[in-house]
Amino acid sequence: MADFRTSSQRERWIFQPHDLTERWAAANQRAAETLAQYGTTRLKVGSLDGSVHSPDHVEGSSDVKPLSYEEEQLTRVFYEQKIQEVCAAFKFPHKIQATAIIYFKRFYLQWSVMEHHPKHIMLTCVYTSCKVEENHVSAEELGKGIQQDHQIILNNEIILLKTLDFDLIVYAPYRSIEGFVDDLEGFCREDNSALQRLKELHQTAISYADKMMLTDAPLLYTPGQLALAALHKSNDTLKVFNFERYLETIFSRQHSDCPVEHFVQSINAIHYLVDQLKIPTVKDMRHVDRKLKHCWDRSSHDEHKKKEKKSKHKSKRTSTDAQLNG
Amino acid sequence: MGDGRAGGANRPAWLQQYELVGKIGEGTYGLVFLARLKPAHPAPGRRGPPIAIKKFKQSKEGDGVSPTAIREIMLLREINHENVVKLVNVHINHADMSLYLAFDYAEHDLYEIIRHHREKLNAPINPYTVKSLLWQLLNGLNYLHSNWIIHRDLKPSNILVMGEGEEHGIIKIADFGLARIYQAPLKALCDNGVVVTIWYRAPELLLGAKHYTSAVDMWAVGCIFAELLTLKPLFQGVEAKNTPNPFQLDQLDKIFKVLGHPTVEKWPTLANLPWWQNDQQHIQGHKYENPGLHNIVHLPQKSPAFDLLSKMLEYDPRKRITAAQALEHEYFRMDPLPGRNALLPSQPGEKIVQYPVRPVDTTTDFEGTTSLQPTQAPSGNAAQGQSVSRSMPRQMPQQPMVGMPRVAAGTNMAAFNAASQAGIAGLNPGNIPMQRGAGGQSHPHQLRRKADQGMMQNPGYPQQKRRF
Repeated sequence: MADFRTSSQRERWIFQPHDLTERWAAANQRAAETLAQYGTTRLKVGSLDGSVHSPDHVEGSSDVKPLSYEEEQLTRVFYEQKIQEVCAAFKFPHKIQATAIIYFKRFYLQWSVMEHHPKHIMLTCVYTSCKVEENHVSAEELGKGIQQDHQIILNNEIILLKTLDFDLIVYAPYRSIEGFVDDLEGFCREDNSALQRLKELHQTAISYADKMMLTDAPLLYTPGQLALAALHKSNDTLKVFNFERYLETIFSRQHSDCPVEHFVQSINAIHYLVDQLKIPTVKDMRHVDRKLKHCWDRSSHDEHKKKEKKSKHKSKRTSTDAQLNG
Repeated sequence: MGDGRAGGANRPAWLQQYELVGKIGEGTYGLVFLARLKPAHPAPGRRGPPIAIKKFKQSKEGDGVSPTAIREIMLLREINHENVVKLVNVHINHADMSLYLAFDYAEHDLYEIIRHHREKLNAPINPYTVKSLLWQLLNGLNYLHSNWIIHRDLKPSNILVMGEGEEHGIIKIADFGLARIYQAPLKALCDNGVVVTIWYRAPELLLGAKHYTSAVDMWAVGCIFAELLTLKPLFQGVEAKNTPNPFQLDQLDKIFKVLGHPTVEKWPTLANLPWWQNDQQHIQGHKYENPGLHNIVHLPQKSPAFDLLSKMLEYDPRKRITAAQALEHEYFRMDPLPGRNALLPSQPGEKIVQYPVRPVDTTTDFEGTTSLQPTQAPSGNAAQGQSVSRSMPRQMPQQPMVGMPRVAAGTNMAAFNAASQAGIAGLNPGNIPMQRGAGGQSHPHQLRRKADQGMMQNPGYPQQKRRF
C-alpha cells in the first residue's frame, strides 16, 4: 500500500519518545529478573512454533550481570548496522535493509536482547524482509552467505512474525526522498545548475537516511519527515536549493494537519538523533558481547573464568564470534 | 493476533475459542474450514458468529512460512473496507508451523449465485441485484486500486456475498494470495508467473505484457458483469498448459470472436506486446468481422449498461475505464439504483431468492485428517476453495470446455457421479446430507463486520431512496 496515511505503521508503530524508553526499560527489567531467577536469560523458543518458554534453571555461580539499559541500546545499534552490512554484501535492493531494520527495532521494543539473541533476530529480520519485499532468498542461501546455521533463521521466523503482529508492510524514507527529488525538478526548473546537482543531492540524502535508520527516528517520525530531514541535511552540505522556500511551497500546496513550525521542529529533532548516533566498534562491543554470552549461557561464563585463569588469551569461541561481529 | 503456546498435546490453545463445523474448501495453498466463535456466555441454542479459517500449508520443505500466506496477511492487515474481506485473526499451529487466517464468514459467492440461477432457477439475476453486486465490486476495487493494490485474480468464486444478518447481500472481495502492491516492485510484476484464471485474464496479459496495471482487474470485472447478465462465462477459452507460460491462443480467439480484432490504430502499444509482435500462431490474421458483444449479453447497443460493459472490455488498458470512473457511470444513476443489500427482491413484495448455503464436510478436522471413509458423493469440486484455488480450467482435464466450467455437483446422484468421473476427490461422505442442494464449492473466506461499523461507514451509494 502506498498510502501511509491509512497504514498499520502510522496507526500502530509511530511512538512518542517516552513510549520507547518505557518499553526498553520494561524489557530490560524483565530480562534482569529472569536472570536473577533462573541464572540465564535465554528464553526457550520452540524450534517449530515460535512459542516462548521460561528458561530452565541453571545451576552455578550467580555473579552473571545483566546488560544495562545503555548496553542493550548499544547492542541494538551494533546489529542494526550489521543488517546494513549483510544486505550490502548480498547486494539486496536498498528497501530490504530498511524493512529489516524496522522489523528489528519493532522486535526489540518488546523483547530484551538478553532474551532473544540479536544476531539470530537480525538474520531472521533480513530473511523476512526479503520474503515481504518479493526478493525471496532461501534461508539456506542466506545462512550460507554469512556462514551461519540457517536453522537459526527459521527457528525465529514465527516469533518474529508474532512480535510484529503480522504488520509487515513498512515505509522507509527512501521512496519519499525519491518523490521529493522528482518534485524538486519542478521546483528548480529555472535553475540549470541546481537541476544538475539534484542527483548528487539525492545520493547524499540516501546516505544520510542510512544513518537515520540506525537511530530511533524511524520509530518516532513518518517517512516523509525522515525524507525531508535527509534532504535538508544533504542540501546544507551541497547548497542546491532554498530549503525553507521549498518547504513553504509544499505546505501551501496541500493542507497539512501539522503546521510548518512543527515540521521544522521534527526535522531538527531528527538531526539531533543522528548527531547523537554512536556506532559501536567491535572493540566497544567486546565487553557487552561477553556479558550477553554469559546471560545466555552460564556454562560459557564459568568456562570463560577457568580459561581466564589459565591464560589471558581469548577463548576460541570469542574469537570466532568477534569475526562475525567485526 | 498470533498465539502463544500450544495447549494440549495436539490441540492448539487458540482452537479452544472455535467450534469447528467442517471443511468448506481445499486447494493448492491449503484448506478452508468453517467454524463458529464460541459465545462468551454459552447458553443452549446460542451460537457464535461463523468464521472461515484458511489454513496455509507450510511452504517448501525447510523454507519457513509460506510466502503466499505472508503476502496475503500483510495486505489484509492494511486493508479496511466494507467490500473487502475482513481478516479477524491469525493463528499459528505449532505442530507443523502452518498459519491459519480467520475471516468473517460469507455464505455465498458470485460463482454459486450465478450457478443457482443458471441451473436451479433457469432465470436471470434481477437487474437490481446485478447492478448492486457490480457497484459494490467496483467500490471495493476502487478502494484497493487507490491503495495501490492490484488483485490480479478476480473471478466469480473470489467475490463473496454475505448471507443473512447485518451485512446481508454485501459483497466482499476475497483471496489476496496473488495480489500485489504496485508502488515500487523490486521485480517486474510478471516475475511471479502468470496470474488470473484465463477466462478473466486481460488481453494485454494474454499477449505477454510485462508491465501491467490495475486495468487487468477491470477487464475481469467486465467479464464478471457479462456473466452476471447471461449466467455464462463470457470468454471460455481452453487453457494451454504444455509449457510453463504458454501462449493462450484459444482464449484470445474467444475474445476476438466477440469483440473483433484489436488493431494498432486503436491500441498503439499493442505493437510492443511480445506475442503480437512475433505474430504468434498468426494472431494478427483477421478472422472475425462482426463483433457481437451486444448479442451475447442481450443489451441494446445504446443502453448505459452496454456502454459501461464495453468500456470495461476496452482492449487498450490505458483507455479501459477505471473503477473510480465506472462508479460514476450513468448506469448507476438510473433506476433501479444500486443498494447495500444486493440480494433484496427487485420489487416490493417479490419473493426473495433463497440461495444455497455452502456444503460443509463435517468429517475433516483442522489437521485436514478425515475421520470417516469418504464414500461416493463428492461435493463437486468442493475440493477447490478460493485461492484455495477454484482455478477452474486448470483443475479440469484438457478438453474443450463446453458449458460448465466445473463439474456441476447438484443434489442428484448423476451430478455426483459426474464429479467422481471427473476425478475430483470426494469430500462429503454419502451419509452427510448435503445442505439445501448446494453443490460443490467451497469457499473460504469472509466477512461480516459489526453492524454499527458497517452502517457508520457511509459506503457512499448513489442517492439512495430505498432499500436501506
